Amino acid sequence: MYGRLPIAKMLAATVALAAAISVVMVSIHWDGQQASTAAPKIDDLLNVMIVLSSFVFSLVCVMLFYALWKFKAKPGDESDGEPIHGNTRLEVAWTVIPTIIVLFGAGYSWSVLHDIEQPAKNAMTVDVFSQQYAWSFGYPGKGDVYVQGEMHVPVNRQIQFKMHAQDVIHSFWVPEWRIKKDNVPGITTTAIVTPDRLGTYQLICTELCGFGHASMRAKVMVETPADFRKWVAGLKETVPAPLKESIVQDTETNPVPLSAGGA
Amino acid sequence: MESATVALGGHAHEEHHGPPEANQSSRIDRQTLGILLFIVSEVMLFGAFFASYFFLRVVVHPPMWPPAPYKLPVAVAGVNTAILVSSSFTIHYALESIRRGNRKGLKLGLVLTWLLGATFLFIQINEYVHLGFSARDLAFGSIFYSLTGLHGAHVFVGLCLLSFATIRAFRGHFGPEEKDHLGVEVPGIYWHFVDVMWIIVYTAVYIL
Amino acid sequence: MVAAIKRPGWIRGALGALLGAAFGFALVVALRKASGLPTFQTEQTGYPQVVVPLISGPLGFLLGFGCFDYWLRWAAGMPTIPEDHSQHGAKSWKDYFRFNTDHKVIGIQYICTTFFFFFVGGLMAMLIRAELAQPGTQIVDAGTYNSLFSTHATLMIFVFVIPVFAGIANYVLPLMIGAPDMAFPRLNALSFWMLPIAGLLFVGSFLAPGGAFDAGWTGYAPLSTGAPLGQSFFNLGVQFAGASSIATALNFLVTIITMRAPGMTFWRMPLLVWANLSTSLLVVAATPFIAGVQFMVLFDRALHTNFFQFSGGGDVISYQHIFWFYSHPAVYIMMLPGFGIISEVISTHSRKPIFGYRLMALALIGIVVLSYSVWAHHMFVAGMFSWLRVPMMITTLLIAVPTGIKIFSWLGTLYFGKIHTYSTSMLFALAFIVTFTIGGISGVMLGMVPLDIHVSDTYFIVAHIHFVLFGGSVFTIFAGIYHWFPKITGRMYDERLGRVHFWGTLIGTWGTFIPMHWIGMDGMPRRVADYASQFGNWNLLISVFAFFLGAVQLVFLYNMIVSWRFGPRAEANPWRAKSIEWLVSSPPPIFNFPEIPRVVGGPYEYGVPGARHAIMAGESAEVERPEPAVVGTT
Ligand code: HEA
Ligand code: HEA
Ligand code: CUA
Ligand SMILES: [Cu+2]
Repeated sequence: MYGRLPIAKMLAATVALAAAISVVMVSIHWDGQQASTAAPKIDDLLNVMIVLSSFVFSLVCVMLFYALWKFKAKPGDESDGEPIHGNTRLEVAWTVIPTIIVLFGAGYSWSVLHDIEQPAKNAMTVDVFSQQYAWSFGYPGKGDVYVQGEMHVPVNRQIQFKMHAQDVIHSFWVPEWRIKKDNVPGITTTAIVTPDRLGTYQLICTELCGFGHASMRAKVMVETPADFRKWVAGLKETVPAPLKESIVQDTETNPVPLSAGGA
Repeated sequence: MESATVALGGHAHEEHHGPPEANQSSRIDRQTLGILLFIVSEVMLFGAFFASYFFLRVVVHPPMWPPAPYKLPVAVAGVNTAILVSSSFTIHYALESIRRGNRKGLKLGLVLTWLLGATFLFIQINEYVHLGFSARDLAFGSIFYSLTGLHGAHVFVGLCLLSFATIRAFRGHFGPEEKDHLGVEVPGIYWHFVDVMWIIVYTAVYIL
Repeated sequence: MVAAIKRPGWIRGALGALLGAAFGFALVVALRKASGLPTFQTEQTGYPQVVVPLISGPLGFLLGFGCFDYWLRWAAGMPTIPEDHSQHGAKSWKDYFRFNTDHKVIGIQYICTTFFFFFVGGLMAMLIRAELAQPGTQIVDAGTYNSLFSTHATLMIFVFVIPVFAGIANYVLPLMIGAPDMAFPRLNALSFWMLPIAGLLFVGSFLAPGGAFDAGWTGYAPLSTGAPLGQSFFNLGVQFAGASSIATALNFLVTIITMRAPGMTFWRMPLLVWANLSTSLLVVAATPFIAGVQFMVLFDRALHTNFFQFSGGGDVISYQHIFWFYSHPAVYIMMLPGFGIISEVISTHSRKPIFGYRLMALALIGIVVLSYSVWAHHMFVAGMFSWLRVPMMITTLLIAVPTGIKIFSWLGTLYFGKIHTYSTSMLFALAFIVTFTIGGISGVMLGMVPLDIHVSDTYFIVAHIHFVLFGGSVFTIFAGIYHWFPKITGRMYDERLGRVHFWGTLIGTWGTFIPMHWIGMDGMPRRVADYASQFGNWNLLISVFAFFLGAVQLVFLYNMIVSWRFGPRAEANPWRAKSIEWLVSSPPPIFNFPEIPRVVGGPYEYGVPGARHAIMAGESAEVERPEPAVVGTT
């Protein structure tokens, strides 16, 4: 029955359409600038998925429009179609093929996730403090110096951000780094980034945190190690007591419970 | 149209010009299936609070549970458990009686069940008064009061359903016919659920 | 007057509401006095003296309105009002504003109420787009903006998409399975009347001091636990909407299991019935979780408990786990009934049996099972247990498989059929296949942790939401409304206007929501009233399309109202469909059937010579045919 269909032609059309879509979509640089070692890995994953998805999408379109073109009822034709109730081979095919595609996607994502989260020995720690509606930063390795609204980091060195929210949930996002992590009151969340491109970027809060959410931004400067050292040396202020407490009290996973009556 | 009550059974009456009688396409009757499904969602409601309990106790993992200096009256609550569990038997007795057409037994069973349930609730409230900590004291207090309180609310609802059944029993409703004592059977199922749920709450909150 | 107060209805309802509210207020004041607290709470949140009346008031209304009369009399052992069916059927438009136990009346009540809230929510979307048309502040300040998208989403989800499906099914499902009504008609009516209450609470929160709730439809703690009074309206509205949909789901399950016509085996049920069976399974088991978590937020606010207060040993992230354990299944609650509608429409208008009927039904069940195991894909960047991410990624991606089965089977249904595109419902069904595929694929991308880390909480999410919810759910809703309009109203709608609405909606949807993918990836976060100027032109474009999309919906509104009033009369079966609801007159007689029909075959036996689905009473009964063997294999 389905032998009557020009399967080969339809597949050809699908591939052609998919190729066309993929070329256009991949050539557009969706995610903008790449400024960390994670960025190219994530963008590659994205491009692979774009290609696979445009294949799936083209398949759906070709199947739909071929049917519309071939099997549209002539005006005034009141008769019924052919009573086909199914076709086991086809049903198996479109159960198995998507399974393979998504499992491949899952495996690939897993490996990408694995190596963008590899901690390095020489990593530098930066404390991130977020509160409605401002960011501030501490440099534990550098005598606990403290700065507000503007963060400097050295290029080509892994940074481990330890995040501490003071009031509600905020979220740490630098699009050019492709890294995002919520800052959660009571717990320390961690993000690992290795910036590999000098420049000035924006740190954006991406978790709704109140009327100031939209304007909760900070400047991020990726500098040469030399410039960075100079800048850090120039900092006088150290992390204020309340923020320091939040570091002590936050745990990797959960709040340290208080004793009775502490509420 | 008939037996259109929430889960308490209806009583057939014949005038026509009404809708056609629906085809019964399953062995189980509507009220029983209804209450069973309702219990499923009730279980999930408790599930939400048990999930919270899990996070507050296991994930947050405070050094002590219950935190110092709080204590839970395990023994008293144990007695209370016994009381509630025994009420499961009395309601069962009531149902068996009406099955055998013994109206006396039905009334006796219902009244006993009601009293046992009420006693449980009274002791529970009394316990609240003397605990010495409130729902505001730490997450422990919050989850303790919400789990036991949620269950208490269910006991209260169960008591209401039982009162309906009791009133009707004394007004001479119900009979040995299967469809004539759904009004006892359905609250009974709910009551058994309330008992079982208490055993789970008790083990989780007081013993573990 | 006295009589009016005795009689169930609006007057007694209003009275009940007043008394209920007064009682709740008194209760709070008394309790606070007893426990030595200041009579009127002064903290920013909480306001128990407002919250409790917000619960007791509506209950008083329902009581007064007559929702409980029968049960109370029954409970007291009094002779219940003999079933005179005065509460049944609708003779004039007034009957739609009464407590009515007829599933057809309730269905219409549902559909009209929910579409009212659709337009309110849509109006808010228009305000959102007006604000976002340019960078900087246009018409509202940041705080109001947060309230706008929060109420927008809440209305659309809780009082439009979820209940409108319940409404459509309420009307056609009993007819489809040959039942005279739902299993529990009074419970059915009660579930409906809880719905406007929920909607009014959501909209009414704009009157609360501090403005409407503004923590998003997700209401994450601790933002929500610290928010002004409006948030409590959200907590309570969700309770009423949730109770309503649990009760309806229970009703559907019992109806489907115990009230099918003789001969209607499970494998002879139309797929819409299968879809509502699966949806109801989701609702009954998942909805209690959002009820529970909103109670916890309410307690944290009103009683100052510590569920989500880390300073009191609470766990902030537990809110998200419990919330999403409901709210992910919720997204399939908003999609599966649509799948059912599409199956009906496509097989009818391509004059062909559904391709792989059994696999279609099993795919639904598969989605139900899987969707309980994927909730944490909303929390990949939330700082939860990191080990949970990969397992949840795998289950999430696997959901593409059963969904894909449905997409391809619909396409397979078209082949060797006679496709009629004269009806707007078919146009929407076909467009749905393509549009939903895009939304689904973006979903699959979100399912991949590394991609989600980048685009989570950006406009990419907003694009995904609207492709699946507008291009998915709402398209299926339109398809269903057009498909059953003749059956429900007994009139034909205007196909010309229908086409205008269809093409406008299609273009509007793509134009509005496609660009969102790219500004999201490029760095525009969601839930912001202001944004970097580099996105200005894109947002202007989006807003223009959005207004166009909105304007087109007015065409739909006009078409429906005018056709209902003046449209040409519809015959019983304008689409020459097979399922039972088309075998009775349009609109169906008050009790659906003089006698229960007999089912003798599958629901989609198009083109099978002489095959029948059901035989109505009085028809010449004929021998039951075995289902024809599968014709033709490649
Ligand atoms: C109708 C509602 C609906 C539906 C059906 C879906 C369907 C899916 N959703 Fe969606 N989702 C939402 C509504 C919905 N979603 C909403 C409202 C949010 C935002 C909540 C908020 O934060 O406000 C959200 C958010 C959301 C997130 C969280 C993003 C974030 O906040 O960081 C994720 C992540 O995994 C996700 C994934 C998916 C997936 C994998 C599917 C899958 O079910 C899709 C499956 C379908 C297909 C894949 C297409 C058809 C299939 C084929 C053609 C077969 C071949 C395909 C392949 C091989 C890929 N969704
Ligand atoms: C079924 C669900 C549904 C539906 C149908 C819609 C419909 C629409 N939504 Fe909605 N939306 C959500 C669910 C839905 N949305 C959710 C869950 C969120 C997330 C909220 C959150 O972050 O918490 C969201 C968020 C959301 C945002 C992001 C807000 C933000 O994050 O800052 C935007 C922005 O453009 C938006 C726009 C629209 C538009 C333009 C429509 C249009 O399709 C609307 C079209 C319909 C109408 C316009 C109504 C008919 C016309 C009138 C009422 C007459 C008036 C018309 C004119 C003045 C022209 N929505
Ligand atoms: Cu901080 Cu949004
Ligand atoms: Cu989800």
